[in-house]
Amino acid sequence: MNKKYVIFFILIFSTQLTYAASGGQLKPVQIDLGNKASLQRGAQIFFNNCAGCHTLKYHRYSKFVGDLGISEDMIKSNLILTTSKGEKTKLGSTIVNAINHDSIKEGFGVVPPDLTLTARSRGPEWIYTFLTSFYEDKTRPMGVNNVLYPNVNMPHVLWYKEGLKEMDENNILTVKVEGQLTQKEYEQEITDLVNFLTYVSEPAQLERYSIGLWVMLFLVFFAFITYLLKIEYWRDIK
Amino acid sequence: MSDNNNSSNRRNFLTNVTKVVGGVGAIFAAIPFLSSMSPSEKTKMAGAPIEIDISAIQPGAFKIVEWRGKPVWIVHRTTEMLEKIKNDAEHLADPKSDEEYQPQYAQNKFRSVKPEYLVLVGVCTHLGCSPLYKPGENKDLGLDWKGGFFCPCHGSKFDLSGRVYKAMPAPYNLEVPPYYFASETRLVVGEDRT
Amino acid sequence: MSKFMAWVDERLPVSNFVKNHLSEYYAPKNFNFFYFFGSLALFVFIMQIITGIFLTINYKPDAASAFASVEYIMRDVEWGWLIRYMHSTGASFFFIIIYLHMLRALMYGSYKKPRELLWLFGMFIFVLLMAEAFMGYLLPWGQMSYWGAQVIISLFGAIPFVGESLALWIRGDYVISDATLNRFFAFHVIALPLLLFAVIYLHIAALHTVGSNNPDGVEIKQNKDKDGKPVDGIPFHPYYTVKDIFGLAVFLTIFMFVVFFLPEFGGFFLEKDNFVPADPLKTPEHIVPVWYFTPFYAILRAIPDKLGGVLAMGLAIFVLFLMPWLDRCKVKSIRYRSLTYKILLTSFVISFIGLGYIGMMAPTPILTILGRLFTLVYFGFFVMLYLTSKNEKTKPVPERVTMYE
Repeated sequence: MNKKYVIFFILIFSTQLTYAASGGQLKPVQIDLGNKASLQRGAQIFFNNCAGCHTLKYHRYSKFVGDLGISEDMIKSNLILTTSKGEKTKLGSTIVNAINHDSIKEGFGVVPPDLTLTARSRGPEWIYTFLTSFYEDKTRPMGVNNVLYPNVNMPHVLWYKEGLKEMDENNILTVKVEGQLTQKEYEQEITDLVNFLTYVSEPAQLERYSIGLWVMLFLVFFAFITYLLKIEYWRDIK
Repeated sequence: MSDNNNSSNRRNFLTNVTKVVGGVGAIFAAIPFLSSMSPSEKTKMAGAPIEIDISAIQPGAFKIVEWRGKPVWIVHRTTEMLEKIKNDAEHLADPKSDEEYQPQYAQNKFRSVKPEYLVLVGVCTHLGCSPLYKPGENKDLGLDWKGGFFCPCHGSKFDLSGRVYKAMPAPYNLEVPPYYFASETRLVVGEDRT
Repeated sequence: MSKFMAWVDERLPVSNFVKNHLSEYYAPKNFNFFYFFGSLALFVFIMQIITGIFLTINYKPDAASAFASVEYIMRDVEWGWLIRYMHSTGASFFFIIIYLHMLRALMYGSYKKPRELLWLFGMFIFVLLMAEAFMGYLLPWGQMSYWGAQVIISLFGAIPFVGESLALWIRGDYVISDATLNRFFAFHVIALPLLLFAVIYLHIAALHTVGSNNPDGVEIKQNKDKDGKPVDGIPFHPYYTVKDIFGLAVFLTIFMFVVFFLPEFGGFFLEKDNFVPADPLKTPEHIVPVWYFTPFYAILRAIPDKLGGVLAMGLAIFVLFLMPWLDRCKVKSIRYRSLTYKILLTSFVISFIGLGYIGMMAPTPILTILGRLFTLVYFGFFVMLYLTSKNEKTKPVPERVTMYE
């Protein structure tokens, strides 16, 4: 019931508005924050592939317990891969990593951005389109380029899953080297990842809609009563 | 006339319903504001249990760690120290630790799980200063000082189990936090064994 | 209870106050939809103060930690997200309400004698509110906060001779920085709210001295019964209290819908770029102020000269102060005024909305021309009003107010 509303509101408002606002060249992605399994898979993909360079520095590991239903032990053994002061990073700490910014800047030319709020500043469709738009380009230092973000410095980290695409003269991408996954499976994984990043960008979304529904019901009821009250008093006024 | 009466009944009824529903709404609206002042996720997580490696603490030595922003003491007591603790009941305010300032598993003579390891919250029960560790003889603290803790703020004295002596400003024994031994050398403070 | 009240009344005339301002304060009985917005504005002001206090409990006015502290409120503080969204949505709704409140005054001539001072206090509230909103917008320390403030403060630099030093003095630094953030925080949370409180008090005091205008523009005090009560007046309490409570309930339903389901409002209330921390080295591609400033921002851009633009923008606000003296027509309500005034006011409203839209868009040649046209219409309204209102052909104003069922 609540889940349906969540999907409804997200589809109606967030997706359409952000999609329209970004110029239309973005691919749509179906965000469903009610799908815990998808969020959990997205978290796993993030920590296995992205967390080495990117941080989620405004978010805490401990939030995954209540929000995503991942147990403390699972988080400690599978998601927390970093240490601080010689001890394993604590459950309550924010999600940062151990990379040296100077050395990574030398290697990639930029410091990899924090991704906590990317789904809010650029939108889920942008991330989805970005991660499905890499293609082979031997002129680039990393050997790949991106349709959405030309000359981006990020390597195609997930190429072992997606394979490598090449661009033909009509600017159409086709798979050149097969990866571990089919294109469809890859798109599903990216959807999970984007779903997870959308949750991270605003964890309140998990509860916002269902609480909002109760508040709406209450206020409509209150407005109805006060309307009757107003009518009752105003019968005096001729 | 009867129409008037009906109207005034209805009016009173609606006024009261509005007051009640509005009042309920106001109470619900206050909840988010009041609960926003309780400890945040960050604070709660900073208060999470801590793990300490105790293998490096020599017999007789004393270590301070921080838990929830408070000092927690770990004393590795020698057999000699434990002997002294056994024979001092008459000078203590609460020798058997009847007041519940320790978890049940520490409500014993040595106020600890393992007699040789004492774990205490290092905050005086008088007004919140942190007492000093004075293990050996100390003439400043009296000729019969058997070793223990001394609070510099108002002079409260505690024995080597953190029990307060009689007629001191501090009303209770020092608090024992919840703790357990995860292994021979790993001590977890802030949580009972689950 | 009555004994207690008697004791209090001897020392502080509370019962008299209630009588004078509620149960025996007579308001015209023909208020329409537009008359909800005064009490709603007061409600939103109080709500902004309360949510604001709870935000300052966790907010850090420090360039190094401001952005992170907002995110901390959004995720780590219990219900922090709700309080923050109420405050950010409240800011936008405050302006929606104020604009409708001002439109009401223009429609029914509420600024005319004897309510000139009431209008002036209202205009001061409007200006203070713009300053309050502008300074508050810097606090999240996102890209839009930073560059928006940069642009607006640079406007002061256009003033001849003193401009640059004035901008420097406002910023307290050569660029927008920690120093600017800190002083804006001080103004936003204490100085301006105190001033607003004082002027709102004067606004209401002036209103209760002269009494409310109404959609017919009839002075109800000129038509009293033998007890000295206005025949077209009804006690504010209970009649307008129950009506305003109903208005409040409807408002809250709409407001809370936005808070819970559309807090960003498609980028109008919370701009996307503001979810990126302020970066003094990188300007976002498309800087626009929040929607409630865009009409004035569009006027600024319409003038192809830095100083001229700033002056035009200032004039656009200042000219509103002069309304009581620009409009020389004796008839208050638009209901009994000429077609000329109806056309003038309609084109003014259209130009205001049009300017608001243009101010949000990236400048294109067509929009620039359109922006200049609307700017002309905006100022033309005041000029034409001054010229036509003196000898306006009006309809007869009735003796008594009219009620519509």
